[in-house]
Amino acid sequence: MHRNFLVLLLVWFAAGCVTPPPPVNAPRPVASFQPDGLVTQRAVLTARGRQFALNGYLAQSATGGRRLILTEVFGHVVADVLVKPDGTVHVMRSSRLFHPAWIERYVAADMQCIFGGAPDAACPVQMLSATHFVVERRWYKLDLQIVETQPGPQPTELFDEAQKAKL
Amino acid sequence: MVALTMALAAVVMAGDPPLRPVADPRPILQDLQRKMSSFDSVYLEFTQERDLKLFAEPLRSEGVMLIGRPDQIRWETTGPFQSILLGDHQSVAQFERTDGVWKKLKLGFPQMLRRVMQQMVQMNQGKLDALTSDYTISVATGSLAVVTLVPKDETVRAMLSSIEVKMLPDFSATREVVMNEPSGEFTRIIFRREMRGVKFPPGTFDQTTPRDIAAVKADFGNAP
Repeated sequence: MHRNFLVLLLVWFAAGCVTPPPPVNAPRPVASFQPDGLVTQRAVLTARGRQFALNGYLAQSATGGRRLILTEVFGHVVADVLVKPDGTVHVMRSSRLFHPAWIERYVAADMQCIFGGAPDAACPVQMLSATHFVVERRWYKLDLQIVETQPGPQPTELFDEAQKAKL
Repeated sequence: MVALTMALAAVVMAGDPPLRPVADPRPILQDLQRKMSSFDSVYLEFTQERDLKLFAEPLRSEGVMLIGRPDQIRWETTGPFQSILLGDHQSVAQFERTDGVWKKLKLGFPQMLRRVMQQMVQMNQGKLDALTSDYTISVATGSLAVVTLVPKDETVRAMLSSIEVKMLPDFSATREVVMNEPSGEFTRIIFRREMRGVKFPPGTFDQTTPRDIAAVKADFGNAP
């Protein structure tokens, strides 16, 4: 049963990965965040009429970049991505729920749209309040709320792509 | 020798006898089920700690778990976000609070979530024999009674290496549940304020309009 479920999810998300993002003309966010800190988020992902609740933990470093870890309801890591200050994306961990290409193409992009500071015109994100964002692409919608912010420097290992081997 | 001395010193300082594996856990599991089955309901408050290697501190959330006979469960996170999971043997529902309003999710693959919720009910009702098809179960006793469940399915084991349920030696309260992952990371759920045999008001497990948790707590005299 577990295996069937996971395979179904894999197929489902894989199907989404080949769908190109739509043209975008949505309002862009203007939120600003501490350059160093940990931002806890709660999000609901809607895809093909079905919804999944996720937790997001975003570590930010002025010099190291951004590291986002997504977990499902009971804490299992389903996606883990590092975006360096130069924009390079490193998928640190993936899962059957979120495979690497999907994380690189969409999870990292959505993170940059919301937290990137200067989002480009391709960001399909609306800022409903200072802590509430909605990303809407053709085949999925992400409703994201920031629930906790802890300013302060984060461990440097979080921003070291070489740590992937130790995970 | 030094290591042995340090280990012994640590045990003495801790003051707790080390855990001893039980060769035949069946009598203990039967005792556990007998004691747990005498209660119609249980209420627990919890702190959930997600321990990720790279973070200096565990990521914490708070909430309550309510279980009612025969198989109803309410798992509610109260902070830092608000979310309710409700389940029984037939169905499962999830609510998320957004901008002060509860919204019911159109769950993807609810049968998986329902199964996990039912396993949580079975663990808390001591029905561990019902879990033997999915888990290999062992017991260790000492200052705590620790029931360890190892998934039999290799695919599941690749994500979840074991679940440890830590209880008082007389099974009068659950102290914590630890979900271990192959990477060494884990999720620890620390329980407190466990109350057994409470009478929950109507609507507590309603999957359409669940009664507000503050009203539920006030109704059985556990208001903060």
